[in-house]
Amino acid sequence: MNTIAFTVTALVFTGCAAALLVRLVISPGGADKLTMLAAVSALVLGILAMFGTLSGRPAFLDVALLYDIFGFLGILAIATFTRDLQKSDSEEPGDD
Amino acid sequence: MIEWGSIIATAREWAATILCVLASVFAIGGTIGMFRFPDAFTRLHASSLIGTSAVFSGLLAALAIATRIIVIMLFFLVSNPAATHIIARYAWKSGIDPWTGPLRTSRRRGPKRNTPEDRPDQGSP
Repeated sequence: MNTIAFTVTALVFTGCAAALLVRLVISPGGADKLTMLAAVSALVLGILAMFGTLSGRPAFLDVALLYDIFGFLGILAIATFTRDLQKSDSEEPGDD
Repeated sequence: MIEWGSIIATAREWAATILCVLASVFAIGGTIGMFRFPDAFTRLHASSLIGTSAVFSGLLAALAIATRIIVIMLFFLVSNPAATHIIARYAWKSGIDPWTGPLRTSRRRGPKRNTPEDRPDQGSP
């Protein structure tokens, strides 16, 4: 019963991540793309945790933890970099 | 004599199954919201729904089987709201107007488009 439930949930997560990847490509603007990227990162984390639980290999769980850390750092880096670009474009001292 | 071991194992299986169903429902709902919501901030809400509800339910379902998930859960509880906050702050500072709805019931921000120097204080709505 658990195997079927985990497999179906992992498949649903995969479908949602694929749809969100399409949305990431066609969406305009940086904030939308960052939003989709965060959602895809969270879904892939869920898929990795479910496959790690299903197959009984703890290496998948370490990969999931590292993926979560680097997804967070990536979003932070992209947001900071783009904000600095906007700030240097407008040539004004920002408020923070 | 009641066999507590088998009862606990059955309860774990049922809890994992129910949490998997919840995770699937929230993931599908968040994806639909991501395609249909009109604004960056409302789409951020759908993204946060996927992150906290769907994936966290999935991690709880996996926690019923393997206990090593709790490290991932603790980090995910910190990192996902922080990432949502970073994106919302980025969208706000890049001057995106929030969607006020068809009835315009929310606060209006004035005739001209917002730039960061137009809004020095956003404390009270």
